[in-house]
Amino acid sequence: MIHHLITLMWNRKRASALLITEMVLAFFVLFAVSSLGIYLQRNYQAPLGFAYENVWELSLNAGSQPRAAQFGTLVQVLQRLRNTPGVVSVTRTKANTPFTFNNNTADLDTGKGTKKAYGDIYTAGPELPQVIDLPLVAGRWFDSRDDVVGARPPVVITEMTQTVLFGGHSALGKFMRVGNDEFRVVGVSGPYRAGGELSDPQPAAFRYVSPQDTTAQALFNLLVRVQPGAGAVLEKRINEAIRMLGVGWTSSITTLAENRHTKLKQLLTLPALLGVVCLFLIVNVMLGLFGVLWLNINQRRGELGVRRAMGATSGAISRQIVGEILTLTSFGLLLGLILAVQFPLIGVFDVPAGVYGTAMLLATGVLYALAAGCALYPSWLAARIQPAVALREE
Amino acid sequence: MLLSYLKIAWKVLLRRKFFTFISLFGISFTLMILLVVYAMFDYTVGPHRPELRVDRLLFINRIQLLYNYGGQGNSSLGYAFLERYARPLRTPEKVSLSTANWGTMVAYVGQQVLKLDSKATDAEFWQVLDFDFVAGRPYNAAEVRAAAHVVVITETTSRRYFGTTAGVTGRDLVLEAVPYRVVGVVRDVPIARINTYAELWTPVTTSTDNLRDPNYQGHYQAIVLARSAADVPQVKDEFQQVIGRVPFPDPKLPGTVHSFAQTQLASLTARFDTDAGAEGGVGRFASVLLGLGLLFMLLPALNLVNINVSRTLERSAEIGVRKAFGATAGRLVGQFLLENIFLTLLGGALGLGLAAGALTLLNESHFLPYSTYALNWRVFGVALGVVVFFGLLSGAYPAYKMSKLPAVKALKGENAA
Repeated sequence: MIHHLITLMWNRKRASALLITEMVLAFFVLFAVSSLGIYLQRNYQAPLGFAYENVWELSLNAGSQPRAAQFGTLVQVLQRLRNTPGVVSVTRTKANTPFTFNNNTADLDTGKGTKKAYGDIYTAGPELPQVIDLPLVAGRWFDSRDDVVGARPPVVITEMTQTVLFGGHSALGKFMRVGNDEFRVVGVSGPYRAGGELSDPQPAAFRYVSPQDTTAQALFNLLVRVQPGAGAVLEKRINEAIRMLGVGWTSSITTLAENRHTKLKQLLTLPALLGVVCLFLIVNVMLGLFGVLWLNINQRRGELGVRRAMGATSGAISRQIVGEILTLTSFGLLLGLILAVQFPLIGVFDVPAGVYGTAMLLATGVLYALAAGCALYPSWLAARIQPAVALREE
Repeated sequence: MLLSYLKIAWKVLLRRKFFTFISLFGISFTLMILLVVYAMFDYTVGPHRPELRVDRLLFINRIQLLYNYGGQGNSSLGYAFLERYARPLRTPEKVSLSTANWGTMVAYVGQQVLKLDSKATDAEFWQVLDFDFVAGRPYNAAEVRAAAHVVVITETTSRRYFGTTAGVTGRDLVLEAVPYRVVGVVRDVPIARINTYAELWTPVTTSTDNLRDPNYQGHYQAIVLARSAADVPQVKDEFQQVIGRVPFPDPKLPGTVHSFAQTQLASLTARFDTDAGAEGGVGRFASVLLGLGLLFMLLPALNLVNINVSRTLERSAEIGVRKAFGATAGRLVGQFLLENIFLTLLGGALGLGLAAGALTLLNESHFLPYSTYALNWRVFGVALGVVVFFGLLSGAYPAYKMSKLPAVKALKGENAA
């Protein structure tokens, strides 16, 4: 049967070539869009690792205040914030706060020539776990013991970093490098994906900014946990307090929930547009396929009439039509798969091979379903052909 | 002759309505998507307010410090740097300095927080650009020099803060606890106009920034108005000469300074490609876009070819008769191409309607703040070009196939599939 169908297709190869090209393109469109969709969905399902509700991001601007005086003002600002009713806790961070478009990355390893990992580097004060509800898995978070400046500053790493760099072993007390600087691991935390739900889960490490740290780093970004229900009144009070404390100081407050929404909107716009375009292209291909098949049946009335006259059942005719189109689809698929397999082989876009594999399966399934769906009505038409009528037309 | 061809084309379309529907669906949706993309592109870089004279405008908004050891720094420019090197340019008509990106200023209306996107500018800003003033006037050079607390706001800002747009000039808008007197109200500026967009504009001298900071990097930009569109290359050259003479800021770490006066489009594409040079990688951007457009049209075109081939075979008897009566292959190809272009033109008209609908939907969704996307004559021109191209692309192969049909076989009703 299959052999016969392939022969039939081969005999009409010129006419089938166009249809097969269309199938290959349709497969590729489906493959590309489902790869993207599956990739995003996988990231979305991975745990975010922290709580963003009731957390505000406060960015400060010191205006034209001389650099030497800035730290003094910051200490006053922090103290005022902690004493403000409605504020639960405050921590200093760098600009790569959750859901912003800022990032800070570096190579992580455990010594020269060892396995490297590429990860996010965050900088935070001792209060971060309370502010964003970050659980610790082992060891401890930064505290006053870390204020003593030693040869190797402390670092807290995420579980994923521990797995990648130290295999299955505990990283506590061990040394590691961030870029070219050496650090001592004091704690292991749960995941922390400040890039948001759609970011690629990757290793991360926290560096410490001590409350006495007067260097220019982590001066102007604060994360503030507020009591539930805090709103414009508290925001106004904080902004006014900061303007009073430092000459020329200004501040702006956004909630992490707002930032998350902005980031999701920005990151989902392009995939959504691609999805719409893909849907249109697929509908186009379906309609085209349907039309071509329909005309085909009309032209082959004679041939099908003869088959019916020779005793073929209407079911057999239906099966033949659907079988023909599925054979054609398989050829298109084969070509498309050969192209698509290059993506995981070459490792384009740094996406895990599993994503491409699932996408290929999904695209194959959808394409077969589409082809079969388009062939149903024409095959029903073909099965209804009365041999007496069809043969008389000749 | 042409008329009779068109009549035939019309009859053919009516004969198999389902196929006409399939063809028109494919063509019109393809065009709709292309037109929406083009309309958005035109809206972002074409001559629209406030950059109405976009062919005469140049933007200096990036500086690149390239260290000899291999590092580099990319950012907007320092105010003092622009004041020293961009302001005195001789070839342009006017130079305006403003913040490169918009910041946020907070105002409170009762219990509500208004976060307003703001831009700090000089007085020339209003002369270089063409804002649509609904009421009042821009602030002038004297007010900027005196650091007067005045502000120009958009209609929406006015509605959100004062509840009305009428009689707002002269009233005070309290921003971060400082009262600013409203001197003018302008129509909303869409966020797509990334170099000039804001919801309120204040004199640059009222900001707390240190404008004398000698750092080359900062967060300011210069918008340059050339005397005529033909003068634009001269302005670019003059700025290049000036930049060529700028000493590198750090004598201990030598390197080179790069900064360019770029057109609106180049200033946007350069954001994605920091090493693109004076043209901002516009060529590469255009070729990528063109390639994607063609790739996108390929599937619908193939689909149309498929359907056309099938339909042609139905008409083999007609072709046979025409050939037998002496019609040349060339003439038949011409007729078929014409029929196909007629079909795509019909689809094009539908596509324009669909695009207009999609753009209205996009505007009303407020997905991009203050956008008022619309079709204009440039979009029509592009639509016509795309339609004819699409018609030729999808009509060429079926027409060729049709003209090759041997007359004898065609008359017998055999098709050479």
